[in-house]
Amino acid sequence: MSVIDILTRVDVLCKKYEKYDLDRQREEDAAVSGRDEFAKLYAAIEADIEATLQKAEEAKSEKDRATVATLNSGVRRSKAAIRAEIPKLQKLAVKKVKGITKEEQASRPDLVEELAARIDEISDGITGNLQNPMWGGKAGVSKPMEIRVDTMHPDDLMRPEHFEATEESTGFRQEFQARKTRQDQGLDVIAEGLATLKNMAGDINEELNKQAPLIDEADNKIEQAAADLKNTNVRLKDTVTKLRSNRNFCIDLILITIILGIAGYLYSVLRPQ
Amino acid sequence: MAESSKRPHSAPSLDPRLTHAHQLVRKADKLTTLSFFNWWPDWTQATPLYEQAATAYKLAKMLEEAKTCYEKAATGQERLSSPWTAGKHMESAGALAKELGRIDETVVLYRRASELFLECGKAQPSADVLGRGARAVEDESPEVAIRMYLDACAMLEEDGREQMAFDTYRAVVNLYIKLNRFKDAAALLVRWGQAADKCHATQSQCKAYLSAIIVHLYDEDLKQAQQCYNDCSQMDVFYKSDQGETAEKLLSAYGEESSDEIKHVVDSSYIIPHLDHMIVRLAKQLPKGELKTIFPVEPSDDKLNEDDLT
Repeated sequence: MSVIDILTRVDVLCKKYEKYDLDRQREEDAAVSGRDEFAKLYAAIEADIEATLQKAEEAKSEKDRATVATLNSGVRRSKAAIRAEIPKLQKLAVKKVKGITKEEQASRPDLVEELAARIDEISDGITGNLQNPMWGGKAGVSKPMEIRVDTMHPDDLMRPEHFEATEESTGFRQEFQARKTRQDQGLDVIAEGLATLKNMAGDINEELNKQAPLIDEADNKIEQAAADLKNTNVRLKDTVTKLRSNRNFCIDLILITIILGIAGYLYSVLRPQ
Repeated sequence: MAESSKRPHSAPSLDPRLTHAHQLVRKADKLTTLSFFNWWPDWTQATPLYEQAATAYKLAKMLEEAKTCYEKAATGQERLSSPWTAGKHMESAGALAKELGRIDETVVLYRRASELFLECGKAQPSADVLGRGARAVEDESPEVAIRMYLDACAMLEEDGREQMAFDTYRAVVNLYIKLNRFKDAAALLVRWGQAADKCHATQSQCKAYLSAIIVHLYDEDLKQAQQCYNDCSQMDVFYKSDQGETAEKLLSAYGEESSDEIKHVVDSSYIIPHLDHMIVRLAKQLPKGELKTIFPVEPSDDKLNEDDLT
């Protein structure tokens, strides 16, 4: 084969496997990115993120508190700076640039979001400690509105929308007021009932105090009467027994017979013969 | 019979009973009236006859005769030295006299009954009967009724049974309020509070004091009311009680001279509805009268002029 043939073959082969040529790609990218602001900025931001992450790692491994604090503050500063670039990147993301595929164009906003998330994740000594929800007991259950304390970044506080009442908060406030009024009404009813009960209890107490000595008196008198009655009963029984005992009865009968006998005898004697 | 001709309405079935009653009375009279043949009145026999006749007359609604019979029966019992039964008969006679409409006689009979009970040494029934007598006559002659009530209270207090006197006090207060004698009513309420204090009936005591203050306020006498409150709050029991708090709120509302506040205190209070119903009626009408008249304009203190350095 001639040299020309070999050259031609090599050219064809290269063209075929062009996309696997890294150096070539980079050159092309550089050529494209020369015009692509987005890519440039993206690369710059990525580099910054790497640097910040590095600093964060250092801060984590440091023992000295002062150094840790300094490093953390440095990390925070860089994060803030990078965050400030994000809006610019978002704007560039939607701009149409020659030389890149449609899919890449579409995926650029997502890339921006991902970048923002990565920035937030960098631990800077504040959020690292308090990423967990305060209600440790409910780990594993993620409620729609988890309550966290002290997770507000200073930047967030500066945003004007932060203190406005959202729909949720106004609704919540109204419901709270409504429930509070209903509770108050219920408590009023209970209070009235209790006052009546207290009054009745006091009156009953007084009435009982009034009647206790009366009942004691009545008790004594009845005891007396019962004792008298018992006495009388016993005496009555005695008397009746004395009157109607069998022995007395027989004696009575015998005496009566004797008297009748005597009367009969007298009669028979005195009858005119 | 001559008597039956006077009463054409009496049912024929009652007449034999009535005639029997007349016979009894005549027999009893014969036994008791002194005459040539009768040196000693025989009350032992006569009294039961009188009692029977009295019940018969009462059933027949012949009140006059029944009353007379009861009186005679009472005298009989008295002579038989049982003042208790005598008192009971007197009371029945008094009730009949009231139905006949003879108030003076009623009063006399009831008082006599109470004396008889006192002879037994029983103060409670004596006071009770005075109270019943007073209730009987209070419509016609309230003054006399008040006298009787107060005597009953005094009797019970002497005997050391103040707690029994509460009902009597209540009756007198209601009578006073009916007669619009508010100062007397308030004075009596304070006396009632004192009686309650003696027998440690704190609930009644505090209620009595609060009622006194309300009566004063109804009488448009704020100064008296405040004085009353000051006097009563000397007692710890009242000062710390719910009634004392209500009184304080009421007086401060008056102090602010706002009738809305006063009405609000009365309506929203849980204590005032549990007082005696007459007092509650008064309280609902507070503030009575123009507030300006209650708060007389004080003479200004111009005499103490700041610039006057003498």
